[in-house]
Amino acid sequence: MNIKLAARTAEAQRAVRVGELEFGRAFVLAAGPCSVESEEQMAAVATAVSAAGANLLRGGAFKPRTSPYAFQGLGLAGLKILQRAGRETGLPVVTEVLDARDVPWVADYADMLQIGARNMQNFSLLKEVGRAGRPVLLKRGMNATLTEWLSCAEYILHYGNPDVVLCERGIRTFETHTRNTLDLSAVPALHHLTHLPVMVDPSHGTGRRELIPAMTLAAVAAGADSVMLEVHHQPERALSDGDQALLPAEFAGLAAKIFALRSALARLPETVPGRRADNPGTDSGHDMEVK
Amino acid sequence: MMSLDGIRREISHIDAELLHLLHRRMELAVETRRFKAEIVNPEREQEVFAFVQRSAHGLVGPAFSRRLFTEIVAESRRLQAEDYLLVGFQGEHGAYGEAAARQALPDAAYIPVRTFGQVFENVAGGALDRGVVPLENYLGGVVTPVSELLVERELSIVGEIRLPIRHCLLVPPGIHHRDVRVVYSHPQALAQCREYLRRHNLEGRPFYDTAGAARMLFQERPEAAAAIAGRLCAELYHLDILGEGIEDHPENITRFAVLAREALAGGGGKTSIIFATAHRAGTLFRVLQLFAERGVNLTRIESMPRGGRPGEYVFFLDFEGNATDTAMADLLDRVAAMSTAFRILGSYPPAE
Repeated sequence: MNIKLAARTAEAQRAVRVGELEFGRAFVLAAGPCSVESEEQMAAVATAVSAAGANLLRGGAFKPRTSPYAFQGLGLAGLKILQRAGRETGLPVVTEVLDARDVPWVADYADMLQIGARNMQNFSLLKEVGRAGRPVLLKRGMNATLTEWLSCAEYILHYGNPDVVLCERGIRTFETHTRNTLDLSAVPALHHLTHLPVMVDPSHGTGRRELIPAMTLAAVAAGADSVMLEVHHQPERALSDGDQALLPAEFAGLAAKIFALRSALARLPETVPGRRADNPGTDSGHDMEVK
Repeated sequence: MMSLDGIRREISHIDAELLHLLHRRMELAVETRRFKAEIVNPEREQEVFAFVQRSAHGLVGPAFSRRLFTEIVAESRRLQAEDYLLVGFQGEHGAYGEAAARQALPDAAYIPVRTFGQVFENVAGGALDRGVVPLENYLGGVVTPVSELLVERELSIVGEIRLPIRHCLLVPPGIHHRDVRVVYSHPQALAQCREYLRRHNLEGRPFYDTAGAARMLFQERPEAAAAIAGRLCAELYHLDILGEGIEDHPENITRFAVLAREALAGGGGKTSIIFATAHRAGTLFRVLQLFAERGVNLTRIESMPRGGRPGEYVFFLDFEGNATDTAMADLLDRVAAMSTAFRILGSYPPAE
């Protein structure tokens, strides 16, 4: 497989910039609701997650739903709401783009474009975001191997966009208790294979609120450059994925643990896998092998 | 086939159109103030009532028509009694000229006028109290027809406004962004958004006016079409904003002048003059030297061919200073003495 652009090289780590954030150099905590539902909802959630330490706001305006009868998102109107919430809290925003025809419209309002798991191998969409001039968050397809996933990242890089962040969001296995099986081994494996920063999404990765805190901390311990969490101020009334949304207070508690864990890891001797400059527990000058 | 939703949408559209027509009627009523001594004219009102009763037909009967117009005429009287300042601008309602007029003179009545020439004429003739016209755009340059009118007509500049031009992509409500194919607007606005149109794969179609294009969308509701115009048009013509600030260069500013028959009492910190000099070496230099010697900061100098006299130019000069100050008045007397033609356009407070 040819991933000459995505492959890890000896060269210095290049950060992916989104607004003032630098993925790969400083930890990014992304949070927000699954779907943008209303002005009030976005304002409430954005204010809460920002206060708790999130530095990237998420929210879906175009939703890929399993059923055609489920809520499909607010579209362009939702993007405006998301942009406003982002501006008012000072957070850059990431949102999913579903269709190649929507790319320039979504790029007008979003700081980062997300390619969802179901679209990971939608090559015409990948080409389009490759040309959109916005950083891209590429989620792992639910049955994609790391190699297939990196090939998709290579598409975006090849079409002129150097700013790609990979997001592990769980894969399909025989297990039915969880929505997906969160593949945390992907984090150190990707750090070994590619220079692209890695995010983990424990909300989709488990689909169950009670599992999210443990898996979030595990992701941080595994060396993730970022985690993304779904937060809703009224999960029981959410129009999509309410079961995996944290309450603002739960998110704040978890965020505090994330930051505490990161500083604890930073004090450990060099036993924690990872290699990034900001990675806790690693000497930034050394190129560590992950066994 | 008819459906309740479809009929209701049509009714809402007609309501919006009715309000537009009523607005136009009130505007005209307010304009009559400059042509008559008394607000109430019982003879004319009887004429109106007779006409609307006669014209009523079908489901709209004479009695209802009379009741409706009794209300309308009462409101029209009330508005005339308010004695609004009448401010003319070129273009349709929603034009950038109207946005500038609203910024310069809040709480006035803003009257759309077809051409720049008619703005000048109506202010000079007393039908309008003020006119708001564009002088220059920072990307597009001088608005030559306005410069020519400033030379020809004896109006004073009593204020200036710098208006950031923020173009919006507007569509009739309910039109999905994916369905938009063509975009109507003034050629200059289309040119200023060329990169945006290319990125979104949209085809520009020239139209006589930005606000006119927005109004056309409202009235004709063509399929697959959008317009580029100011935000004010979204409000006035009930359109959705698909994109805002879509111009390729954000530093797109137009400078407008407020015109009146009389100079502004007491003037202001900025002055505009026009003058012409004899066609001899060094005449312009000697005029400018007067300003330099006194340390007066020039903010704009522009030359324009003098109509009908080949090779002769008239100069537009803006500078910091008040023509009503003694020292400045003295300087301007000396400029006048050196010029073959000279006029102070006005002293006014500079825009922020």
